[in-house]
Amino acid sequence: MLVRQFVGMASGKISESQEVVPKKEEEEVESISPELLIKHPLQNTWTLWFYENDRSKSWEENQREITSFDTVEDFWGLYNNIKAASDLRVGCDYSLFKKGIRPMWEDDANKRGGRWLVNLEKKRNELTNFWLEVLLCMIGEAFDECSDDICGAVLNVRAKVDKIGLWTADYSNGSSVMEIGRKFKERLRISPKIMIGYQIHKDTQNKSGSVTKNTYAC
Amino acid sequence: MSASPVARQASRSQSIPQRKVVINDPSQLPMDYSTTPDGTLYSTTPGGTRIVYERSFLLHLRNSPLARTPPKNLPNIPEILLSSSLAKENGSDTPNPVKEKEQKDDSQEQFQLDM
Repeated sequence: MLVRQFVGMASGKISESQEVVPKKEEEEVESISPELLIKHPLQNTWTLWFYENDRSKSWEENQREITSFDTVEDFWGLYNNIKAASDLRVGCDYSLFKKGIRPMWEDDANKRGGRWLVNLEKKRNELTNFWLEVLLCMIGEAFDECSDDICGAVLNVRAKVDKIGLWTADYSNGSSVMEIGRKFKERLRISPKIMIGYQIHKDTQNKSGSVTKNTYAC
Repeated sequence: MSASPVARQASRSQSIPQRKVVINDPSQLPMDYSTTPDGTLYSTTPGGTRIVYERSFLLHLRNSPLARTPPKNLPNIPEILLSSSLAKENGSDTPNPVKEKEQKDDSQEQFQLDM
């Protein structure tokens, strides 16, 4: 996997002499370790949303944009200071989406999309870890080239079954959807015996019963 | 970027390392290498490189000094969302989140005083 640790380049200026010298760069980078003194840029800027169920307001009004971040350190600055997933009240949601994408089906980026859905029954104490894992997958771009298809993720804290949905941009892109699903399952350490399903947002929107059909599963 | 004074001071003591990229032909230059101030080359090596962080590296940074700064936009974060330590700092004795608008102003003032 490609891992780039931007030692020294995150916030600093590079002098004009971007020297073009044939030399191994690894050695140089390793000798200096200002790793903890600079902020590490993320591939994407991410926005945290919080949903609180207030019946006097519409669903959209209840969905609040909290803040955005684009470095690893700013992510932790936020994460470390807000409530853990398992401490949220029943009925609340956290959503983390790429900046510019609203956590709703209607957004242009989600119109043709769907979600991998993980149901977490009676796992409230593990909810925090599951959610953090999803966040780390997204901000770290764990889905390799399929990462561009990721829109965001939603955590629903509910009385009976908590849910985590990983939203992707295009349900018709089967290979990408499957790749993302497999990685998602692996990173959440879901047993191979348990199947998770991918549901198209349109199907979720138009469902007649309480169950939406799975278009993909892994 | 909101580096703490301590961190800023500390980073001054060290020169910023340069990255050296071997380029043999102008065609290997990325199209958009001036996308950051002063034009750095990161993430724009030919073909485009994704900034990928492994889980362990992300977790390693969790408690680094820069990661301990309070989040941006703190005054606008609903109190109900703040972890208890920060909520206290933010001066919230009223446990009633319904009167959020009034509290917003309070907390903003309080936050600035803390600075």
